[in-house]
Amino acid sequence: MRKFFHNIRKYYKYAIYSAKAELKSEVADSYLNWLWWVIEPVCFMLIYTFIFGTVFPNNEKYFASFVFIGLAAWEFFNRMITGSVKLIITNRDLVTKVYIPKYILLLSKSFTYLFKLFISLAIALGLMIFQGVPLTWHLIFAIPILIILYIFSFGMGLLLMHFGVTLNDLANLTNIGLRMVFYLSGIFYNITGRLKGKKLGPLRLSTLLLKVNPVAFCMNELRQVSIYASLPNFKWLGIWLVIALILCVLGIHVINKNENSYAKVI
Amino acid sequence: MAESKKKIAITVQDLHITYRGLKKTSIRASWKKLGSKVELFHALKGVSFEVEEGKILGIIGKNGSGKSTMLRAIAGIFSPDKGKIDLHGNTISLLSIGVGFNKKLTGKENIYLSGMLLGFSEEEVAKKEKEIIKFADIGDFIYKPVKTYSSGMYSKLAFAITAILETDIILIDEVLSVGDAKFKEKSYNKMKELISDEHRTVIIVSHSLDTIKELCDEVLWLNDGEVIEMGSPDEVLPKYEEFMK
Repeated sequence: MRKFFHNIRKYYKYAIYSAKAELKSEVADSYLNWLWWVIEPVCFMLIYTFIFGTVFPNNEKYFASFVFIGLAAWEFFNRMITGSVKLIITNRDLVTKVYIPKYILLLSKSFTYLFKLFISLAIALGLMIFQGVPLTWHLIFAIPILIILYIFSFGMGLLLMHFGVTLNDLANLTNIGLRMVFYLSGIFYNITGRLKGKKLGPLRLSTLLLKVNPVAFCMNELRQVSIYASLPNFKWLGIWLVIALILCVLGIHVINKNENSYAKVI
Repeated sequence: MAESKKKIAITVQDLHITYRGLKKTSIRASWKKLGSKVELFHALKGVSFEVEEGKILGIIGKNGSGKSTMLRAIAGIFSPDKGKIDLHGNTISLLSIGVGFNKKLTGKENIYLSGMLLGFSEEEVAKKEKEIIKFADIGDFIYKPVKTYSSGMYSKLAFAITAILETDIILIDEVLSVGDAKFKEKSYNKMKELISDEHRTVIIVSHSLDTIKELCDEVLWLNDGEVIEMGSPDEVLPKYEEFMK
């Protein structure tokens, strides 16, 4: 772990610079340039709100904001996971030619995703104001929730990044997994409302889906503090923080141990 | 030569490198392979040598004899399966062309990207930026995206970055010829200037025996992952030429 923090200090500037460079290059050739970072999430939101607000009617209050907050959190998680599986392979040139702690690659990538997340959240905030959602001080709890989501995604990403080097079909597997999580996370429906009373054995299904799935949990808590002006569930936030930290420690350990062999494989 | 000058810059001890273990596989294949033996390829089989500070070591050997593997191991890209590599605290870089370039960004931005990747701070790169641009000598193209460069310009910039951002130890893997004739001469001279610095230790891998003869103080001859001989170019090169016939 000491090595990890030492490396972070040494390389974080590179991580930031390379993240900036990547963001810049993403839009370098396009006509509308950086506007795409705004247009894209707005369009997705419009599509989802139309489908799940009009095609499948829904009486959720402030539905557009509801969808958009969920979508922002989801998109971040989704990008982190899909991005990390192939990270080493897409950076083949780098990995085979110079030594760089491999988690720096993920760190840099995560900065670009964080940047997009913040744009989405800014749009979500605008939307909430537009819809007349009463803004309360509970909003500050969004910060710890997002931090937990980030640490969790980072830990998962580290592990997937490691296994993605040797297992060719991990990408297919994670795609299936992500699709499942996508529908189970209640991005466009309210888990508690939809699954009221349904049980799986002795447990309430809605509790299970909300607490056991960290994405759904973070999403739900985000909505609680932003739309419904209530306090987050501190107990479960704590539990997920611990799990997320354990994942990170595991991931860092695995990468530290194996990273020098990656160049031999790819 | 004074005693104090005999500082060792690189120590390689009984270096073994094997390609195996993390072999690419699919989940289906890995079920089948459980229990069966993995194929091993021994790239290096117990290589030991030392390089004094300020010396220039040339590594020769036929294709597949483990030269590039060794360079990458010394650069820290591979970890040894057995044995030790001690750099005695020196900074090191593998002189390779265009590492970490982002082709959609301008040459100037890529100088920073590549430089910081090699472990230099933003300030250090900023200090050398002018020198790099001057050496690369590609005019206004430095402000244009790298993808618009000709391949010659690309290598010129890449070479300039690695040549001007200096480290204590430089590893060179057959990159002595980039760009047009004029730049080639310039880069060759720069290379000579770089490596003749008495504090800089250099390892060169090359198939060009003339280059080795001209630049190196010592030659290491590798064959199939083993050291055949190490000594002065005058001793080793004739034997190597004889062997390769």
